[in-house]
Amino acid sequence: MADEQSRIASVLKRLTFAPRPGQVESYEGATAQDVVEELLAAIVEDPTYPELGTNDDYSIVRTWWVDHMVTGDVGIHERMLWFWHTHITSSLAKVEPALMLRQHKLLRANALGNFRDLMQQVTIDAAMLVWLDGESNTIDSPNENYSREVMELFMLGRDSNAYTEQDVRNGARALAGWWVDGDNGNEVKFDSEAALHEPVDFLGTQVTTAEDAINAICDNPACAAYIASAVHTYLVGFAPQDARRDELATAFSDSGYEIRALVEGIVRHQSFIDAELSRPRSALEWFVALGRFYETDIDFYRLEALGQIPMEPPNVAGWPGPYRWMSTSAVFEKAAAARDYADDLATLDSDDPVSEVLAKAGLFTVSDGTRAALEQAAGAVEGLRELSTVLHSLVACSPEFSLV
Amino acid sequence: MSQSVSRRDLLKWATMGAGAAVVGGGAWLIGREDQPSGRTAASANREPSAQGAAPESSSAASEPGSTAPTPPAPALTANSDLSRRLLVVVEMGGGNDGLSMTVPYGIGGYYDLRPGTAIAADNVLALDDEIGYVKHLANVHRRGAAIVQGVGSFTPDGSHFAMSDRWWKGDPDGTGAYDAGFFGRLADAIGDPAAAAVAVATRGGNHPALVSRKVGTVGLSSLSAARYLTGAKSDNPNLYAFQQGLAAFAQGGGQGFGGQLRDVDARAITFAESVSGLVDENGLRPNYPDNNFTRGLSLAMSLFLVDKGVRIVYVPMDGDFDTHDDHVSRHAEMMARLDEGLGVFMDDLAANDLADRVLMMTTSEFGRRASDNGSSGLDHGTASNALLLGPVNPGRYGELPSFTDLTDDNFQTTVGMDQYYATVAENWFGVPASDVLNGNVVPLDGLIA
Repeated sequence: MADEQSRIASVLKRLTFAPRPGQVESYEGATAQDVVEELLAAIVEDPTYPELGTNDDYSIVRTWWVDHMVTGDVGIHERMLWFWHTHITSSLAKVEPALMLRQHKLLRANALGNFRDLMQQVTIDAAMLVWLDGESNTIDSPNENYSREVMELFMLGRDSNAYTEQDVRNGARALAGWWVDGDNGNEVKFDSEAALHEPVDFLGTQVTTAEDAINAICDNPACAAYIASAVHTYLVGFAPQDARRDELATAFSDSGYEIRALVEGIVRHQSFIDAELSRPRSALEWFVALGRFYETDIDFYRLEALGQIPMEPPNVAGWPGPYRWMSTSAVFEKAAAARDYADDLATLDSDDPVSEVLAKAGLFTVSDGTRAALEQAAGAVEGLRELSTVLHSLVACSPEFSLV
Repeated sequence: MSQSVSRRDLLKWATMGAGAAVVGGGAWLIGREDQPSGRTAASANREPSAQGAAPESSSAASEPGSTAPTPPAPALTANSDLSRRLLVVVEMGGGNDGLSMTVPYGIGGYYDLRPGTAIAADNVLALDDEIGYVKHLANVHRRGAAIVQGVGSFTPDGSHFAMSDRWWKGDPDGTGAYDAGFFGRLADAIGDPAAAAVAVATRGGNHPALVSRKVGTVGLSSLSAARYLTGAKSDNPNLYAFQQGLAAFAQGGGQGFGGQLRDVDARAITFAESVSGLVDENGLRPNYPDNNFTRGLSLAMSLFLVDKGVRIVYVPMDGDFDTHDDHVSRHAEMMARLDEGLGVFMDDLAANDLADRVLMMTTSEFGRRASDNGSSGLDHGTASNALLLGPVNPGRYGELPSFTDLTDDNFQTTVGMDQYYATVAENWFGVPASDVLNGNVVPLDGLIA
């Protein structure tokens, strides 16, 4: 029973952002596999997007999104949206909020859609054209930024040895000509005079257009393996063994690059059910989990202090993990957030307050050391409110709560 | 407006360097052998400081246009024990105009390029017949800094993002060859892996410049965060129980991520214990003005005093050097704040016998455009100047870029950012440049006294 609850909690942490208090218990009699199927079948509705046009647009787009993750009825679709944002980056450091929101909608629309379609659209997305300099890429003066990163980071991986420096150069030529018309609502336009007209060699084939180039990358065998491995690492917590990776890549490729098929292949596998607490929560994941655990609104600046601001990755490669999330500064910031919001939480009404608070946090099996520390703290305070404050804040700072 | 908000967010983290270099035209560079005898570092620095106002003698000796070079402050000799040397990095985010810091008032081309933003000669504390400090840098002028001229990238980029990333990583051409930050790599090279932290950024979160592989690095906005982890007494049983619980979580080590998290907990608590009680409730040492820059310097001083393994403190200045408009007054305000903070900090170092152990260096992602932009401001540029304070031989290092031979209206870099960094690594910490930087980077000589 406790073991199955623990598995269900683990599924909810990975396929939503964190279980809400009572949510795991509500699946009484169900198996973790049942919960996976229910989450896969969920119907997704578009959220209500924020109104832009104020001086505060930069804050609004990211706080709106994080608030949606904490309070919204979000599941695997939102989970994959966050993955794509960390994998196919763009940043408010260079791109204006309206374009970041436009890109956000694009990623949202395709989060479980077709990967090839997603990449075709991302390639000529205004935010991406600004972020990786596609807008200044012309046939006379090629800018290789996107050509390189789309292969190195987004689709093939540096370790694949699937492309050469000549591919980067020729890819840039095929990608040239797209630009963002700032005078006309940031409409993306194609300037034929700035584009390539004769085919060039690229990844062992001939390409002339951006669409050709993205198709050529998709058709490279390294692509399916790279994406399968990245999604597996995100959802399961570690990279797949070679055989498992190839199995997933083949199925992904055979599906015509349907992201949903890839995700289903990963989460319906026993390795997904069995892997509990297998990687650190990123700052965003910890922050969202805390908001759900405490059932209270936590100021966005706490997330900023933890070092992960959505829509502002540190660089084009996104946020490095997982070690980044286990730093001494994170301990300071987590303790501060956990304490500062724990004063007015609900008091506890069971005769096993430690288990009660752990369950609210989605923790059904913890180490002996963690439980002993919590029991000792519970015995050291007097008063129901103090007990609630101490147990909530300590559970939030436990090693288990920092893992997913 | 919204654009500037975003930029400012980025700039919270922006860094840039500046560094040291080769004697330019100054005839007054004082080497070690020229130091007045019988004067110790501490006594030289225990002179009454001029907080806020330049000493009379300084302004008199610095009369613009004077042909006699201003005598620099006597050089302070660096502590000979390399393992006791410490570093403060002051990050001037947004792109600091080096020419408004050390002003080329004696070069006509400067006034030709910048009719709207050039600083008049009578607002300059002259160093020689070419350059001098802007008058707001009276403390810096009095102590004497090593000025590294023309520092930047030989393949510059106009983006804050791209150039900040290069400076954070010590990757002048943006090759992407490093996954750790430059000061993180330096911390790895000099620090004790057992220490709670070897490098600290005085802002919360993990600073990209301090990303390390071996040793601990921390981002802390204030030491007051330490009170969450340690120091509660039995009169606060609630917090006391929390801290006892945290300490219990930190026990036992173990395998995997759980074990690593327990170890990191233990390091954080040890660090908190080592720094608690160092500052007042406000997080400030006595006599420090209250702004985010001095708060960072105060934190640096506290960490050096407690001496628990912190060797590098990275202080982002709270201010926006991205002066696309209203350059003169905005930059002057930043210089005044820089000078005020450094003055208090250097006095504090001297009063605590740390003056010969601490080197201060400035960084910024780029300088400004050679010409005015037509809105009383300066757009993004390339090479800039940087300052080193502490046990340095005051003077000009590197080569001042030409004011007539420009590239796309930008100054040409004469000192690579990696060369600046190599100088600090090799000549201050004794770390071979090749241990922390790719390629054969040759440090600038003669800077450290």
